[in-house]
Amino acid sequence: MNTIKLYLRSMAILMKCQFQYPVSFFLQTIGQLVMEGGEFLAVLLIVDRFDTLHQWTPGNLYFFFGMMSVSFYLTECFGRGVTGNFPNMVRTGQLDTVLLRPRGVLTQVLCSAIDPRRITCIAIGSAALVLGSRLSQVQWTWWKGLLLIEAIGMSMFLILGLFLIEAIFCIYSVKSVEMVNALTYGGRSACQYPVDIYPRPLRTLFSAAVPFAMTLHVPAACILDRSLYGWPSWTAFVSPLSGLVFFTAVYLAFRKAILHYRSTGS
Amino acid sequence: MKIKAYASVFRMRWKMEIQYRGAMIGGVICQVFFGLILVSLYHALYDGKPQSIPMESVSTYVWLQQAFFRMLLSSDSELAGKIRTGDIAYDLSRPLNLYGYYYVRILALKLMGSIMRAVPMLLFAACLPKGWGVMLPVSGGALCCAITALLVGLCCVCALENITMGITMRTLDPKGIQSILNLLMMTLSGNLLPLTLFPDSWQKVITMLPYAQLLDAPIRLYTGVYAITFAPRVLLVQVMWAFLLGGMGVLLWRRNQHRLIIQGG
Repeated sequence: MNTIKLYLRSMAILMKCQFQYPVSFFLQTIGQLVMEGGEFLAVLLIVDRFDTLHQWTPGNLYFFFGMMSVSFYLTECFGRGVTGNFPNMVRTGQLDTVLLRPRGVLTQVLCSAIDPRRITCIAIGSAALVLGSRLSQVQWTWWKGLLLIEAIGMSMFLILGLFLIEAIFCIYSVKSVEMVNALTYGGRSACQYPVDIYPRPLRTLFSAAVPFAMTLHVPAACILDRSLYGWPSWTAFVSPLSGLVFFTAVYLAFRKAILHYRSTGS
Repeated sequence: MKIKAYASVFRMRWKMEIQYRGAMIGGVICQVFFGLILVSLYHALYDGKPQSIPMESVSTYVWLQQAFFRMLLSSDSELAGKIRTGDIAYDLSRPLNLYGYYYVRILALKLMGSIMRAVPMLLFAACLPKGWGVMLPVSGGALCCAITALLVGLCCVCALENITMGITMRTLDPKGIQSILNLLMMTLSGNLLPLTLFPDSWQKVITMLPYAQLLDAPIRLYTGVYAITFAPRVLLVQVMWAFLLGGMGVLLWRRNQHRLIIQGG
């Protein structure tokens, strides 16, 4: 309980910091809007030219896009400590102070940053979600709402796990390893679209190794009254849990890696 | 005399860029992965509704975009730092034109950085089956035109970069303006979605914008979307933009230099 209080308090302070430079903050927020707007525009234009994508209608595609954007940018907003600051902490030796304090490393890293600029990306993602569910004529029920929240929450764990992998590499090599980004950002770009459109190797990668298909696509398909792999609908409640499993596995590796941490000394 | 100085600045940056081989390998793997994802996506889309533009042309477009990605998004991070810390004062004391000095630097950075990445990537893409990889240029002439167009396009993007930096000299913080301009670049240069797949009516306007000159125009010449007889017109538009953007940049930098306030020391 105490940890949550600590987290909320850090967030409040950090938000105050962000608003100290209002013009820069505003411009960067607009920048994010242009970026995510561009991504969504690409989907709109693809739909304009191609109409459908295998079994999926335009509405379905917006829905998938929205779910991915909302989960990805919520993670980037609240997990900024891991997604952005960590390499710097290792390089500058700032992590030493973190290790000295009587709190978990991950808690402190998460408490160290927030990125409210992502709010525009999250807004566009939500708009895409609403538009998608309207066009697909989704009949919302309470369990569908619950499923949506579960899917987004679990995907956030998965994405945070991916960024943690990068952090692990960083502990060993000091430099931030951008190659790992391929999986994180590549996964985002690829899994904006339902995974069943891809050839087998990519499909396997995103179902078994980096299970975006399990955390996002299976439940999304269920909400849209369709089925991704022809699985029964109860699986949609179970499969997102793979995100948590993925995160736990990476977290254990992260704790191992922290033991190998050697300060850069500066 | 001046030319020699610029040439040596160019050579220095060029050599510096070669040093970062590790970053290059990482970048190539990243870009190859993105390329594979995009090509698979367009294959899936083409399954449903084939378009007038053949699939090979789209996959070639994707690979060339990924291969020369570095030309779009790479900037002189040193300069932004120098503006903020005031170290730019040292550059002002050089016996070279400030704009020319940085223009040559960014030119070397973008050219070398992208050639280093493009060669291994295009070799990889050439090994992929037909419709998945890079096709050969439609003719030798088209290849020559495409390479020329690529070089002129590079001049355009360097001029554009310098305008961004000129604005940074006033705002001091490059992040805001840089992110907006860069992201416009991602969309309007065809990196996110090939410009050939934009609605036809939009294409008339978009292909005229400076963003399209860098990679879109050369790729269209390469894949034969633009016939070779069309090449002079394309090159004319490109040269026009290069001069226009360059001129705007020079004016902006000159005015900045008169009212430049060095930020401490």
